[in-house]
Amino acid sequence: MKEIKFEHVKKSYGDTEVVKDLNFTIKEGERLILLGPSGCGKSTTLRMIAGLEDITEGSLYMNGKKMNDVPSGKRNVAMVFQNYALYPHMTVKQNIIYGLRVRKLFKKDIQSRLDSVLDMLQLRGLEDRLPKDLSGGQRQRVALARATVKRSDFFLLDEPLSNLDAQLRVSARKELLKIHEMFKQTMVYVTHDQIEAMTFADRIALMYDGELQMLDTPTNVYHRPANVFTAKFIGTPPTNILEMDDHNGFVTIGEQSLELNDMWRKHIAERKTQNLLFGIRPEHIELSTTPFSNGFQGKVKYIENQGNSYSVYMDLEGKEVVALSENKHWHKGDIVYFRPMMERIHLFEKETGDSIGYPEELLDENDKNKEESRVLV
Amino acid sequence: MKINRTVEITWHVIFMATVIVLVFPIIYAVGMSFTPLEDAYNNVLNIIPLHPTLENYITFFDTLPVVKVTMNTFIIASVATVFKVLTSFLAAYAFVYFQFKGKEVLYFLLISTIFIPFTVTMIPNYLIVSDLGLLDSVWGVILPQLADAIGIFLITQSMRSIPISLIEVARLDNLGHGRIMKDIVLPLVRPAITSVGIWFFISSWNEFVWPVLILKTTENYTLPLALQMYISSEGGTNFTVAMAVSVITMIIPLLLYLTFQKYIIGTFTSSGIK
Repeated sequence: MKEIKFEHVKKSYGDTEVVKDLNFTIKEGERLILLGPSGCGKSTTLRMIAGLEDITEGSLYMNGKKMNDVPSGKRNVAMVFQNYALYPHMTVKQNIIYGLRVRKLFKKDIQSRLDSVLDMLQLRGLEDRLPKDLSGGQRQRVALARATVKRSDFFLLDEPLSNLDAQLRVSARKELLKIHEMFKQTMVYVTHDQIEAMTFADRIALMYDGELQMLDTPTNVYHRPANVFTAKFIGTPPTNILEMDDHNGFVTIGEQSLELNDMWRKHIAERKTQNLLFGIRPEHIELSTTPFSNGFQGKVKYIENQGNSYSVYMDLEGKEVVALSENKHWHKGDIVYFRPMMERIHLFEKETGDSIGYPEELLDENDKNKEESRVLV
Repeated sequence: MKINRTVEITWHVIFMATVIVLVFPIIYAVGMSFTPLEDAYNNVLNIIPLHPTLENYITFFDTLPVVKVTMNTFIIASVATVFKVLTSFLAAYAFVYFQFKGKEVLYFLLISTIFIPFTVTMIPNYLIVSDLGLLDSVWGVILPQLADAIGIFLITQSMRSIPISLIEVARLDNLGHGRIMKDIVLPLVRPAITSVGIWFFISSWNEFVWPVLILKTTENYTLPLALQMYISSEGGTNFTVAMAVSVITMIIPLLLYLTFQKYIIGTFTSSGIK
């Protein structure tokens, strides 16, 4: 059982709590991404797994054994650092095999591991170079190679791609997938980049302010955000969140209101929830030049070119709402009519920011899986 | 372009002047050491000897056990250097990579000893060395030199510039402190260690006041003490012989510098961590 389990894990520096009561399990062989804004405690969490940070309170289990006091070197983990941490005085080859030599592996074994990783990560011909003579992408691959040859049960990555340009990132991600396919380690990967998280993760653990906000598949993190933070953090531009003081099934903004359909009304009624927030992603808003029977009217404030689409920022009775449009025919000052897709909206409790869930009619296969994989926070 | 050329020439003139000012005394000393005393008085600024002679060197070798004196100087400088470099490296490693109570205070206290003038500790040190029965012995010269925080300070600074992730990678590979020190930290702070070592060696080699207090018999003298015999009132001033002694005194530090020159320059050019 190469799983990692957090039980009420806390970490504080003096009076500052950087990780507050973590409870979750990273499953054997999965690619888990720790995602969150800077300072949310994701790197600290990773470093606690590696044993580079002490655990202030609670227990960390790896392979079923309590690891709190086990030194880094005995945890069977390999780690890739953001700055690669290559030994500057050693050649590529020495960097890769240094750890193996220390472990006193057979020469033949070391050589075969070295050969396979050099081929896999296209490092042939660079063996005798020093890190300073390599490009950023090559250094990153050497760092990956060094972690890979260890063949550890746990593979930890701390923002491994953040120093690479966009193109190199894509190819580096493929290499990471290749490594994972081959060795099926339990991979824990820290990033603040949601695209990286979406494309690479089996599951995403979203953290904010030292707390786990949501732990679920990328699809569910996107379509079924557990709270307002998740809804706003995932997706660009972020989800629109509107106050919904009137809970009679209407979203009322100033003079205008939108009527929720029966499915949602029933759902709200069952929850008996009072104050709600209404969330809708920019990509789930329909725009039109003619009024909808059940929609809002706004005025275009400004347009952002996203390449394949345009973000249209609109003024709705003094509130800003953003929608994505594939058409570029919107101009500043235009009157625009828009309508949220009813099956794509999200409702949250105003007090806690937590999602009130989704009507039965909207639940699909993903949501059923979710009940198993999801850890409620 | 024209301005650049003028600037360039100006700088070259300044550099050349600096080099001449720095090198002239050395060339002058070498020239004088091969000049008979009478010639030296007649042609004070003549760098090239009119009647070259080895007389001055012969006088020096006749009046003093030169080999013994050189060996004394060498033993004092080497023992002090090796000991100080080793302890400074170990102390710096502890200060950078170990967490222990009172670390900052201890470090601060150690570093503040750098600012205590030699004259303040001279008498107490003399009394201690005297009580230990080490007067007139090279060990009496070595002992007080060993306690010196400047090396700790300089090597600590150099070690702090090593990214901590390098050490963390090593820890993940289950390396002990011995291996981390030897395989990772030492190669990366080698330029600092070399510079500090050369500095220790040369300052100990040139040390005058302390040996003069401790050493009594000519047998036990160091080269700077030998030198003063020819320029002080008691021996009568024979400055061409003094120049010969100067040249001999210079040779070893100079050879040392030439050998390690690339490391010394390396100290200023090495970054290459990232």
